[in-house]
Amino acid sequence: MLAIAEYVVRGALSGAIYALLAVPMSLMFVTVRTIDFAVGAYALIAAAVCWSVGGALGLAAGLGAAMACAAFMAIIFLALKRLGCEDHIIYALASFGLATALASLVLWWWGTQAFVRDAFSDPWSVGGIRLAPQGVINFALILLLVGALHLLIQHTSLGRMMRAAAANQTGAALASIPVQGIQVGTYLAGGLLGGLAGLLVLYSAGLDFTAPLGLTLSGFGAAIIFGIGSPLRGFFGGLAMGIAQALAAGYASAMVAGMVPFLFVLLVLTTSRFGEEALAGGRP
Amino acid sequence: MIKSITRRVVLAAAVAGLAAPALAQGADRGPVKLGAVLSLSGPAAVFGIPERDAIQAVLKQMHSTTPDGRRIDLVLVDDKSNPTEAARAVSQVINNDQVVAIIGPSTGSGILAAGPIAQRLKVPLLGPAGTLAITDPKNEFYPWVFRVAPSDIVDIRVILRDMAKSKTKKVGIFYQEDAYGKTGVDEAKIFGPTIGLNVVDTVSAPYTATDLTAQATKLRNAGVEAVFLQVSISALGSSFLKAARQVGLDVPIYANAGLAQRSFAENTGPEAEGLRVLSIGNIPFDPVGGEVELAKMLQAEGKVPQGWGELVGTNALMAAVAAIDAQKGKEITGESMRDTLETLCNFKAYARGKACFAKDKHDGWGEDALVITELRNKQLKTLD
Repeated sequence: MLAIAEYVVRGALSGAIYALLAVPMSLMFVTVRTIDFAVGAYALIAAAVCWSVGGALGLAAGLGAAMACAAFMAIIFLALKRLGCEDHIIYALASFGLATALASLVLWWWGTQAFVRDAFSDPWSVGGIRLAPQGVINFALILLLVGALHLLIQHTSLGRMMRAAAANQTGAALASIPVQGIQVGTYLAGGLLGGLAGLLVLYSAGLDFTAPLGLTLSGFGAAIIFGIGSPLRGFFGGLAMGIAQALAAGYASAMVAGMVPFLFVLLVLTTSRFGEEALAGGRP
Repeated sequence: MIKSITRRVVLAAAVAGLAAPALAQGADRGPVKLGAVLSLSGPAAVFGIPERDAIQAVLKQMHSTTPDGRRIDLVLVDDKSNPTEAARAVSQVINNDQVVAIIGPSTGSGILAAGPIAQRLKVPLLGPAGTLAITDPKNEFYPWVFRVAPSDIVDIRVILRDMAKSKTKKVGIFYQEDAYGKTGVDEAKIFGPTIGLNVVDTVSAPYTATDLTAQATKLRNAGVEAVFLQVSISALGSSFLKAARQVGLDVPIYANAGLAQRSFAENTGPEAEGLRVLSIGNIPFDPVGGEVELAKMLQAEGKVPQGWGELVGTNALMAAVAAIDAQKGKEITGESMRDTLETLCNFKAYARGKACFAKDKHDGWGEDALVITELRNKQLKTLD
């Protein structure tokens, strides 16, 4: 029984990172009706810059670099709009292109090395389970952040404006809502959250230039599993994916453990009402 | 005056007559084009970039000319660590650039994808990969693929034999989810019991896993006495070592050659101290013989030796150079290169060990190219 509990706890701690990556995707879908596939690349850039600079300044520099990349994506988004592009798939593909370019930039500048930092040397023992302090801190931080964002979107005027901008851009603009400003702000928030995820991974397991695609797909899986329209659902989606991965690693044969979490996502999407809503792009 | 002009014309004609054979020989001995299809981006760039750097450094040192005076033109293409791209690139350098041999592709899956094309267009591949299947005699394209590194089976046998020297009996394996990882775990399960090692559990992860504590927990719960890592992604290796420390998996850990990289050694924390890693030579930290020479060439180009990528890349180049010079005075084609490669033995290369190819032996390098190293103070030290 303790063994199962240990896998569940470990899965929840690792799933929190997926949850943090899912949040900017949900936000983007709520406001712009597209997906920013460069979120994983923002995480990589933040980790690489923080690793190079080091210390508290490194954390700030990492987040700044990630936001600068997100600002560049926002400029691409605005340029495409200026050119008359209203197809949200094109915005998503543009972000995918930016992610590839950022991964290549990291490969060119930093090479193939892994970016890893340690903040704590000794694990904590909680109920007989040895846990990395960084994992526990990650979980608490992400829980607070997701809760705050949920309140922001559901219970503040800014959140109402964001949702209105997504539901009906023309109507929102006529109601004096700065639609474009909200959209650009959402891209920047994506950079901030993606960058934060990168810093947490840097101090947890570490990452290298190959990480962006995997991080993005994990975040996307977490975002859609219980419905993409809510960061809170994204949080629980991340936890569910992390726990499914940990249980699969612990109890399934190594031959099939890798596919179990994705089968789990497929199962939820095809059998639950959340799945229908996610596929339809429904919002809460 | 006329007499003087006549004498000059006669002299010029005589000089031209003497020069003519030389000019004709020069025309025959035009540059030989070699292709290099390497992984310069994507996950396998860890090895592809050092392969490229070393090939370029050696060519520069040789003034792009073989010892016998034959000029070499290198055509370099990135296969993006993608087998489809590798096959396309091999086709491109043969059809468009008329190369007579190809260094690469960098990965085993790339070589397997490009093998049928090499066979159809009759140009040999010099593959710097350990993947067993690339030189399987059952392949229809077997005559056209030559391996310039020890095979995965040789690697695994050497590292497991080192593990068996201790009193370890119960081994756990962590491997990455790809052909490299799967081949390693399969061979370890076959070879381990023959030397008293019982593989009691195996765990795996994709390249991009961000947390490996569940995998480390499973091996800890299985009561393993040692762990064997079959991974080539340094982030995955360092992540597993951190996870092992976090969950209390305090047993000796051994790693295959995938982790014998400067970036891995220098960027892992204290949890990696004492890790035993197999390597093809040890050019970054303990170079000997030809490795010292190659390290100097790289440093002259402002490059820092990264691992064994440099050695296997230059193994391929030096095999091609030896094959070109062995065909002195003959027309060089893909077929003549293939035929000559099968006769090469003990030619100059920078890696350790004696390299030999034959008609029924397309694996050029063996156990004598390998060393066991131990990670100490962020350096891989060669063990005696």
